[in-house]
Amino acid sequence: MEASINAHMPGLVARVVVAEGTRITVGQEVAVINCMKNELSVLSQYNGVVKKILVKEWDEMQVDHPMIIVEVN
Amino acid sequence: MIIKKLLIANRGEIVSRIIRTCRDLGIGSVAVYSEADRNSAFLKQADETYFIGPANPIKSYLNIDVLIEAGKKSGADAVHPGYGFLSENASFAEAVTSAGMTWVGPSAKVLKAVESKCYCRNIAEKVGVPVNPGTLDPVKGFDEIAEFARKHGYPIFLKLDRGGGGKGIEMIEDDHRIKEVFERISRIGHIAFNSSDCYIEKMLSRPRHIEVQFIGDRDGHYVCLGERECSIQRRHQKIIEESPSPVVTEGERQMIFDYTLRLASAMGYHGAGTMEFLRSEHGVYYFMEVNARLQVEHPVTELITGIDIVKNQLLIASGAQLAFTQEQVQRRGHAIEARVYAEDPLSFHPSPGIIRALRIPLDLDHIRIDHALAENETVPPFYDPLLAKTVAWGWTRPEAVNRLCLALQRFNIEGLKTTIPTNFFILKSRDFAEGHFNTGFVKEMFGDIR
Repeated sequence: MEASINAHMPGLVARVVVAEGTRITVGQEVAVINCMKNELSVLSQYNGVVKKILVKEWDEMQVDHPMIIVEVN
Repeated sequence: MIIKKLLIANRGEIVSRIIRTCRDLGIGSVAVYSEADRNSAFLKQADETYFIGPANPIKSYLNIDVLIEAGKKSGADAVHPGYGFLSENASFAEAVTSAGMTWVGPSAKVLKAVESKCYCRNIAEKVGVPVNPGTLDPVKGFDEIAEFARKHGYPIFLKLDRGGGGKGIEMIEDDHRIKEVFERISRIGHIAFNSSDCYIEKMLSRPRHIEVQFIGDRDGHYVCLGERECSIQRRHQKIIEESPSPVVTEGERQMIFDYTLRLASAMGYHGAGTMEFLRSEHGVYYFMEVNARLQVEHPVTELITGIDIVKNQLLIASGAQLAFTQEQVQRRGHAIEARVYAEDPLSFHPSPGIIRALRIPLDLDHIRIDHALAENETVPPFYDPLLAKTVAWGWTRPEAVNRLCLALQRFNIEGLKTTIPTNFFILKSRDFAEGHFNTGFVKEMFGDIR
């Protein structure tokens, strides 16, 4: 099953800290959003493998904007 | 040479603030805006506005080329950088000057030099101003950090040589974390400040942050406009500032004024600036850094001296001499500022959004509110969370604090979370009222903040 990890805050993508193919677990930091000059971690709600990264550094995020597609185990 | 048209390379409340002085001096004003600020209230006060690109500040407010282009298109003959963004950027100062415009601030040469905190620490050492114990030069590796800690003990701070805005400061409490912290801070430095150099400072116990506002002209005349007490901070960023400080004695004041003059003249500084000091609990002052720009909290000093700091910046940039001497500077009463941030009042978590309803208490005596807010205004997630500065004046500290509380009580912003309740809570606390606080105050009151 596929699922997406979405932005929980608006802002700019500061960095994506996983790569396609990375195995991730619930609660793991997968990306960082810069909101009002604060770095906020985006955490995975899934156990699985990163299938596709949809965003890059400096992309503008709105709340619920999909960031990463995960193949959930 | 008198400035006729000023481009303000910034956004938000500081643009409105600078435009007020432009009007007073009959100078035309040019504001710039990114995609995210297309409908922002600060633009409405400017004589002219220029679009400078996408919301991402790297492509707009930090983009030297488009700012210079806007300057040329508008026919501006000077640039005021405000605070933050490119305000202390030597390359921007240089680009402005090369384009034939006047830079409102210290020279590119001074900016380039003072960007390095180690340079400033070395200058201080040379002119006999104490600096916080630590290294004068960047550390070479974690062995050196471990060696320092063995000699002087923990906790210590690792600070980026070119850090700023509360970024690039990390505390180390034991040997185990040296490598991790050193690597992290070097990485941040490399990405954010283009330099991974960092140095060590011994952490002082319960210090207060005391800074001195000064102005100097190109002929080497300097005046100090008083100190500001800025110990109430979260994430190394100020929340409440006041002048005079409740603890600085007249003897201490004269000493830090003297330190400030020695440092500024050794740096060859002209324009407005601030020397930041830490005061130990035993009343010893250590020079920390120079802020080579107009500061957010400058209104506090303006209210007690009656001196318009922006006006003096513009006059000095135009080549004028200081119009007054140190003896003519009169400090009167007490002023205190509370910054209103778009943040959760307890967790300080950012809270961008749309201002649905707004009431600004402009009908109160001795209250100044610097802002660029309007109903239905979007507060974008891309920039600093500062919404407004509420500043009160009184003959005494309690009078000023009471007036500030009254203003905050009547200040209403709906649609997003703000730190108005935080300010109120701090101002009403007994320790604050009695002047018993240090830079750890907010942490003690609200717990650890990420």
